[in-house]
Amino acid sequence: MDVALSRNGRRVLRAFFVLLVVFLYAPIAILLLFSFNDSPVPAFPLSGFTTQWYRDFAANPDLKGALGTSAIVAALSSAAAVFLGVLAAIALVRRRFPAKPAASALLLAPLVIPYIVFGISLLLFFHATGVPRSLLTVVIGHIVITLPYTILVLVPRLTQIDVNLEEAAYDLGAGPFRTFGWVVLPLIVPAVLSAFLIAFTTSFDEYAVASFVVGTRQTFPIYLYSALRFPSRLPQVIAVAVVVMVASLLVVVGAEIGRRIAERRLGTITPS
Amino acid sequence: MERTLTREDLLKLAAAAGGAAVAAGPVGLARAALAAESGRLQVMDWAGYGNDGGQAMFAQYVKGHPSNKPQFTYMTNESDALAKLHAGQKPDIFRPYVGWVKYFATSGLVQPWDPKLITNFKSLNPAMVKAGQYNGKQYGIPADWGFDKILYRSDKVKPKAKSWGLLFDDRYKGKIAWFDDLNMLTVAGLYLGMKSPWNQSDAELARSQKLLKSKKHLVRLIWSSETNLWEAFGSGELWIAYAWPNDWVQMKKKGLKVVYMSPKEKPVAWVGMLMLLKGTPRRQLAHAYANAWVSVKSGKWLEDNYGYGHSNTLARPSSADLARVLQISNPKAVGLPNAYLDRDIPRRAVYARRWEEVKAS
Amino acid sequence: MRLRSAFATTTLLGFPVAWLVVFFVVPIAIVALYSFDVYTLFPEQHGFTLAAWRGFFHSSVYLGLFWKSVKMSLIVSVVVVLLAYPVAYYLALSGTKRKYVLLLILIAPFLTSYLLRVLAWKVILGNNGVFNSFLVWTGIRSADHPVSQLLYSRFAVMLVLAYVWVPFVALPIFVSLDTLDRRLLEAASDLGASRLQGFLRVTLPLSLPGVAAGFLFVFIPTVGEFVTPSLVGGTSGYMYGNQIADLFSTGFPDWETGSVLALFLLGVVAVLTLVFSRFTQMREAP
Repeated sequence: MDVALSRNGRRVLRAFFVLLVVFLYAPIAILLLFSFNDSPVPAFPLSGFTTQWYRDFAANPDLKGALGTSAIVAALSSAAAVFLGVLAAIALVRRRFPAKPAASALLLAPLVIPYIVFGISLLLFFHATGVPRSLLTVVIGHIVITLPYTILVLVPRLTQIDVNLEEAAYDLGAGPFRTFGWVVLPLIVPAVLSAFLIAFTTSFDEYAVASFVVGTRQTFPIYLYSALRFPSRLPQVIAVAVVVMVASLLVVVGAEIGRRIAERRLGTITPS
Repeated sequence: MERTLTREDLLKLAAAAGGAAVAAGPVGLARAALAAESGRLQVMDWAGYGNDGGQAMFAQYVKGHPSNKPQFTYMTNESDALAKLHAGQKPDIFRPYVGWVKYFATSGLVQPWDPKLITNFKSLNPAMVKAGQYNGKQYGIPADWGFDKILYRSDKVKPKAKSWGLLFDDRYKGKIAWFDDLNMLTVAGLYLGMKSPWNQSDAELARSQKLLKSKKHLVRLIWSSETNLWEAFGSGELWIAYAWPNDWVQMKKKGLKVVYMSPKEKPVAWVGMLMLLKGTPRRQLAHAYANAWVSVKSGKWLEDNYGYGHSNTLARPSSADLARVLQISNPKAVGLPNAYLDRDIPRRAVYARRWEEVKAS
Repeated sequence: MRLRSAFATTTLLGFPVAWLVVFFVVPIAIVALYSFDVYTLFPEQHGFTLAAWRGFFHSSVYLGLFWKSVKMSLIVSVVVVLLAYPVAYYLALSGTKRKYVLLLILIAPFLTSYLLRVLAWKVILGNNGVFNSFLVWTGIRSADHPVSQLLYSRFAVMLVLAYVWVPFVALPIFVSLDTLDRRLLEAASDLGASRLQGFLRVTLPLSLPGVAAGFLFVFIPTVGEFVTPSLVGGTSGYMYGNQIADLFSTGFPDWETGSVLALFLLGVVAVLTLVFSRFTQMREAP
């Protein structure tokens, strides 16, 4: 007999799980449904099938510009965050030093700061230092926000890698950079990619902080926010919403599956 | 064979230029000075008035000055503009509203315009022109304008009186919208019969604030973007709203039975004012831009596309509804006895804090 | 040839820490300075003063608004934890073979755009929205009487926030349940405990760190929320974060008060994090 769940219990919980998943996906499905609906207002009854909204969004230069801008900001900030995250992870995992709890606390602190507070603090900071607001300031803010996520992904993976591998490399005469480049890095590539993707999707979607430090160019969430308050372009926005959400679902799920497969292949060779 | 310029040639050229300048007169001098102004004109304006949709407003300027095309930065409101100016941004022109004319005129940040350089100036509404003056100088060129009145569904709402009090009517809980601006305190002051709603004492402000706080639970939405208002009003979430003339036009277009009511305590009128920053290196270009903005063509475009009134008396909207609700036939509509023109609020910082407290309460 | 330890550590750690000090710690310090009026960006008189802080505590409004936001966040967090626990339990303890896949399916919506999910609810909840038009279409309600108080309300804000956070909160709870040693439950069963007793005496207490972590994950961001309230909250759904945002954007420059509000929020969040972190296990490298 199962100590955790009775048969009925399992059935009830499975039903609850299914219901919750339906509840989570239903609004997304509704957006999908209405993105093909031939009416400028998303409401029942349905008015017929059309791909016009997708065509409209594909032809909307502001919207496409915003998507591109967000992609650039996300790519830059994620690359930097992953780079800094790798450095931090190595220090946290491989090195001993007295201030480790304090360092970890600082590195993870951006996770708990409310974005409204961080946003205005950056606003004041850039005002005080005379840095004009621009995409660069958004990138800077996003690096801060996504750094903890990269660390949280990289540290467990680094922990899994046997330090003996590195010792062996040193014994064979490799310097620290070579050891890293040829031994450690290949083993953590899936985690690095994962970290990059998480940072990317976080930055791509981030509105709160960006709204305070962006200059005149619009990122996608900022475009979206103003579109939500100005509902005249709603159907196109729904179409782009569907595209972005489906794309991010596929990317995230695909990446996670890929990471598991890759890591299983690369192996951990760890004493547990 | 090339001929290089001799000293004689240069002297002849100089004489010719000087003579031409004298002959051409002040406008010619201006044009000559224009030749010295360079770079793109820096304009700080509200969203929708730059290259994000407002191109028609300054199309004539672009045609006449293709190498000095405007470059836009955006202001979300006058405080935002003020903050940006203090932070070091240096636009040539920006566009606050009439209530801020005195503030900016005395701030040292702006300089007066020279109406002689604006050929369309003579067609501008005199009452609005006067509103842009301070100490006899023309600090603001009137641009767009409109009213603050009450919009309501005549099929759902029976007002007890033609009064601002409809925004505070207990019978319509959850169906009322206010405007997100400290002017709500002014309106409260008007409703309470105060003598100077724009310059309330602490005690009076406390009364206005108390009224707003006590009635806030009736309010469904405090709107800041017109289209947000249209969406909520159009779908029936709202029956009563603090609104601008075009909001009535848009709701009527949706087939709703709506009334745009002038309260007996009098509506408020507002006028957008183009202002010229001090120390701008493109003074002449700025005047040319302003001239384009207040032309008849731009005026008509503004009325037909954004639903605001325009200061050029020759610009008439295509929509008869809009013309009616803007009281186009009455050039003194923005002042008494028809309405109170929005004006300087000496204690603006205090008003702002009180309003934020209302929103927080 | 190993690099000298201290040098290597400093170099490695130096970059990320420096980045955070410059772009995270210093900005917050500036907010603090602003709140004490030691620093200001406008040409006016200033000097150290507690005036803004005194105004904050003495005014009846700000603390009241904060409390309102706390209450809303508490409701959202409790609801989210109550919804997330059973699914985490199912995934971790029912012996289902594809638990990681199912977990991924559960979490995936969280990894899509937040704003877009708020958009979806805006589309659903309006008077003429999907939900109401469906009711009208199926005849459940007449066109004149839609279920009207859905959008622009406190309810809408809490519903959307709960919807957004449920997937994410399931994760720490799942982790703590997944790492539960089943032998403890078996031992309890051998000693005569029923499943319910096993749950209450063994599972629940051992999963509390995960629950605490999950609770914190949702409570902290929602207390300072301003995006969702501004889109679906209307007047009654207005939260503390909105006031901060307003003080920095629409109000006549009152950045002092805004900084005070922001710093107060940060202080509360920091205290909560410290207190709760005793109850959660933050796993770190040895």
